[in-house]
Amino acid sequence: MDLRFNETQEILKQMARDFLTTECPKTLVRKLEQSEEGYSPEVWKKMAELGWMGLVIPEEYGGMGYSFQDLVVLLEEIGRNILPGPLIATITSTFPILEAGTEEQKKELLPKIAQGELILTTALLESEAVFDASGINVKATPKGDDFVIDGTKLFVEMAHVADRIICVTRTKVGTSPEKGITLFIIDSKTPGISCEVMPTTAADKLCEVRFNNVAVPKKNIIGKMDEGWPIVEMMLRKGAAAKCAESLGAIENCVEMTVAYSKERVQYDRPIGAFQAIQHKIADMWTAMQTSRYLVYEAAWMESEGLPCAKETSMAKAYVNEVYNDIAKWAVRLHGGIATSDDHDIPLYYRRSRAADIAFGGTGFHREIVAQKIGLA
Amino acid sequence: MDLALTDEQRVRKQEFYDTCKELEKEKPASLLTMETVFELDDCWKYHLHCAKEFAKKGWLALGWPPEYDGKGDMMDKVLFAEARGYYDIPGVDIFGVQMLAPTLLQAASEEIKKEFLPPIARGEVMWCELWSEPNAGSDLASLSTTAIKKGDEYIINGQKTWNTAAHRADWGFGVFKTDPEGRKHHNMTFILLDMKTPGITVRPIPYLDGHTPYCEVYFDDVHVPAKNIVGQEHEGWAVVNLLAGFERSGINEIMTMFHGLEDLVKFCNKSKRHGQLLAKDPLIRNRLAELACELQAARALAYRVADLQNRNEMSLMDAAAGKIFFSELGERFAFLATDILGPYSQVKTSRWAPLGGLWEKMYHDHFVTSISMGTNEIQRNIIAWYGLGLPRMR
Repeated sequence: MDLRFNETQEILKQMARDFLTTECPKTLVRKLEQSEEGYSPEVWKKMAELGWMGLVIPEEYGGMGYSFQDLVVLLEEIGRNILPGPLIATITSTFPILEAGTEEQKKELLPKIAQGELILTTALLESEAVFDASGINVKATPKGDDFVIDGTKLFVEMAHVADRIICVTRTKVGTSPEKGITLFIIDSKTPGISCEVMPTTAADKLCEVRFNNVAVPKKNIIGKMDEGWPIVEMMLRKGAAAKCAESLGAIENCVEMTVAYSKERVQYDRPIGAFQAIQHKIADMWTAMQTSRYLVYEAAWMESEGLPCAKETSMAKAYVNEVYNDIAKWAVRLHGGIATSDDHDIPLYYRRSRAADIAFGGTGFHREIVAQKIGLA
Repeated sequence: MDLALTDEQRVRKQEFYDTCKELEKEKPASLLTMETVFELDDCWKYHLHCAKEFAKKGWLALGWPPEYDGKGDMMDKVLFAEARGYYDIPGVDIFGVQMLAPTLLQAASEEIKKEFLPPIARGEVMWCELWSEPNAGSDLASLSTTAIKKGDEYIINGQKTWNTAAHRADWGFGVFKTDPEGRKHHNMTFILLDMKTPGITVRPIPYLDGHTPYCEVYFDDVHVPAKNIVGQEHEGWAVVNLLAGFERSGINEIMTMFHGLEDLVKFCNKSKRHGQLLAKDPLIRNRLAELACELQAARALAYRVADLQNRNEMSLMDAAAGKIFFSELGERFAFLATDILGPYSQVKTSRWAPLGGLWEKMYHDHFVTSISMGTNEIQRNIIAWYGLGLPRMR
């Protein structure tokens, strides 16, 4: 047992921190929130040169061949700094191709993803906005060599700039909601697709994507027809772990900023950090950060080792959701009025803690998975 | 990051679990929590029996150097604590094996080590801790019980309190003021003493549920050989701090909670209310799942503390965080379990009590971890002051 980062991970961490500090200052974060695209193509290109989109893509497909654990190290830094854009959407949308795609799909798409030439996203949620299969009603109907997709997807991250959309569709109304789900990889330029950015708390460009009789070739099915739900579960699991890592980095930054501020802000002739009311709250924040950290690392390690980890990942996501929300809230509270100003950096994190909570399943969703996995009837 | 155990560790872990599972069969039904070990005669007898069994395997000396008949390494100690915790098996003297032995190994003279370590490893001598006083709790350094040197003896006068198992223990270790004129933190000595020494009076304190795991100990001209000290004379504070750093991962307590959750889940899977299984109640599912997440988080941090300690790295902050977290999780668990059990949660061990009356007992016993070994408020100070560099209280 050794819970430290290895040398490669330390290098990756430092490189990411340096890169993001220089290339993605908070001024850019704010600018991107206001912009239409929501990401910087220049920074995207530089990240591609560093190999980030292809970090976990095997070398034979032009990626770096790193482990899931290594990805967690990178995402922690991304969360710490905040990096608006489609990186996590692209990486998590790559998993279905990596794990269930045909050799042809892999050869065609993976090298381009690794090069930063393709932005991907996944269209899962619909009007009911639930993360289980019962919420999937967008239909894909066979027509000749194609399928025709019809319906509306919501909360699709960065769909307005995506080149490919992994669309989770219903191809059969079966005995259980999980049966009859099929995944398609769709070129976003296909006629019949329209996209509108939804105004959201984190300004993170979640989109409504309308599929109006969109024809998609049969060969674009990922995995097996009607049996796509396990792929979605896998993607949600990996996505949840990835989001946890990003949140962990953000939590770290909130704690560090709060500690620093409590040392410099003077009231009653002393730094506010000298008051135990503040100290003990900060100690609690630090404790919550550390429990989150090793819970996330444990799940990531299991994922890397190929061990079954649905329970552990859901535990991590449910737990980190609450911790990030709470720490971001307390970071605002302990900074006082100043952190309620939009000019301050803490609100950037506070707003993102809500988005992070929801992405890849909220607390209630993951707790229900945990309830099943600990053996509740 | 690698959480895997080596093949040898896996084998030893299995042996620890198998042995504890075997010992569990003989466990008295009255042994509900570790506190009952000190209260009830049959539980204490079982504790001594387990100690002998562990001693035979050399498991009371895990992580000790070979010259003191040590066996295994620090990781074995963690895995052993895990197994004992899961089956809630006593037999490892918290004070002798877990606190004193590693302290002696680091700070005692050769003579003291040779005299006191072997009986600990053999599971023969049970210890108690003599630290707190009526007016020296969290601020332990303000203690006032004196040990005045006269010839080759110390003569002790005063009172200690909250001494777990002092009425059962053969020996005690404590800190006493040996230089009443000296500076705070440089005026006390860490002394070992036979609890049968004339002048010692032990009075059990009734705990809030009427049981008596704790005592107060009175000293009236108690003569102790001057050689029975650990560390330098008047520098007992350094020994106290050293001792406080050992085996703080909490893995034992956490694994007990894992087992407790498993049993509670089984209970919910077979008990009905309003015509449906408790397990089907969405609120119960949500709350038990929340607790399971926190339990997993507690264990993950405990491994972090163990990992640091195994490599002899600084673990002060993580150990403090771990202690705060798992002890307050114990509180939440006790409150959640009693809430789920409803009216039955107030029934003490009897034919009406679900799960043997464990949660009625835990409703009282959870205070042990949050208050003892440095209250959680002191742990928060440690994180704030020593860890994060926030200004110390003036």
